[in-house]
Amino acid sequence: MTATLTDRYVLAMLRGVPGRQRPDLERELRASIADAIDDRLRDGADAGSAEAQVLAELGDPARLAARYTDRPLHLIGPELYLDYVRVLKALLSAVLPLLFVAAGIVRFLDGAPIGRVVGDAVVAVLVAAMHIAFWVTAVFAVVGRSPALREKVRTKWDVSALPTYRIDLVGLIGGAVVTALLACLLVLSQTVGPLTGAAGEPIGVIAPALWESGALYLGIFFAAARIGFDLLGHYVGWGMPQAVANAVLTVLFLVPVIWLTTGGLLLNDAFFAALGWPRAVISNVLVIALALMGLADTAEGFRRALRRRPTTTTSEGL
Amino acid sequence: MVVIDDDALATHRQELRRGTVVLACLLILERPDYGYALLEALESKGFAVDANTLYPLLRRLEKQGLLTSEWNTEESRPRKFYRTSADGAELAATLTGDWTELNTAFRTLLKDES
Repeated sequence: MTATLTDRYVLAMLRGVPGRQRPDLERELRASIADAIDDRLRDGADAGSAEAQVLAELGDPARLAARYTDRPLHLIGPELYLDYVRVLKALLSAVLPLLFVAAGIVRFLDGAPIGRVVGDAVVAVLVAAMHIAFWVTAVFAVVGRSPALREKVRTKWDVSALPTYRIDLVGLIGGAVVTALLACLLVLSQTVGPLTGAAGEPIGVIAPALWESGALYLGIFFAAARIGFDLLGHYVGWGMPQAVANAVLTVLFLVPVIWLTTGGLLLNDAFFAALGWPRAVISNVLVIALALMGLADTAEGFRRALRRRPTTTTSEGL
Repeated sequence: MVVIDDDALATHRQELRRGTVVLACLLILERPDYGYALLEALESKGFAVDANTLYPLLRRLEKQGLLTSEWNTEESRPRKFYRTSADGAELAATLTGDWTELNTAFRTLLKDES
């Protein structure tokens, strides 16, 4: 015996319903369909088209099952969507620049040429972005399907969550321009140089061995990641994840630079000899200046993150 | 004059009617009835509703304790009969009050206009 359209419809609908509800639902739905078909037959429709029409009006059986069980027909609902976007933005903007720099350093230490370093870092960032997006989406989809979890996760909005200050465009653009200018100045001083040796060759400020190793490309790479990170931070809003990532980025940059400077590998002895300046003193001044700048930048990052936090003073009055 | 397109019109009417089907069901089911008969009754009394909306709604109201149900197997085709519970009748009274108030408010509004 072949299954009728109704049999197939009921079967498809029941697939979306928990087992213990099935017998009762099946019995009721079959009776309702049969009643509707009988009604149409009384109005003079033929048996085949009456059944097809009734089922068509009931619509997609999976949708009907979702209505019976109150299951959502979306991946992430309106209650969680804003939190979902916030978490995604915070994670992506804090983790990706860090990962870009870390992957770049690892590949550079492996001895890869600078093109490969950048290429591999970009690939690592793309893969990580997909992983973050996928897992955050998966977690939110699960939470959205569990009413108990949903209540716990949802953040209540109140006026204290309003952003406290405007985007500092001057600081942002200024920082990017200064970084780019410094990089240009460094390259110029090294290649055309204000100082020349006996044979007319330029004497750069950076030790020739370090220059030739390509480590300075890593510096430019760092600067690019830094600018990207600051832009992202301003776009999505600076918070604790950004402040922590900022501190890690600063440490990642300063530790190798300070190590190179104190080891006498960064600055060119010939440059300072030609100027008549003591290189050791310059090295120490540079190390102290870099450390202070790093500390100030890290502290500023945390200060900005704390300033954005909701203040308790406004909610106490409620 | 701005002409409202059909989609927008349908949405506005749907928004206005949302909730009225619940009240209509609670009032009609003071006398027990089964799904398809209720669908017909609603339609004949001017409460247009789709079967795929009404049947899940009946289950939901039953789950909330506003309706009770009972299988009737006396006839050749067994049918599930729903009936408004005491809680359901109480809710129906409250909603009817709200409806009457809204109706009065609109009438006053319309009288002021003319």
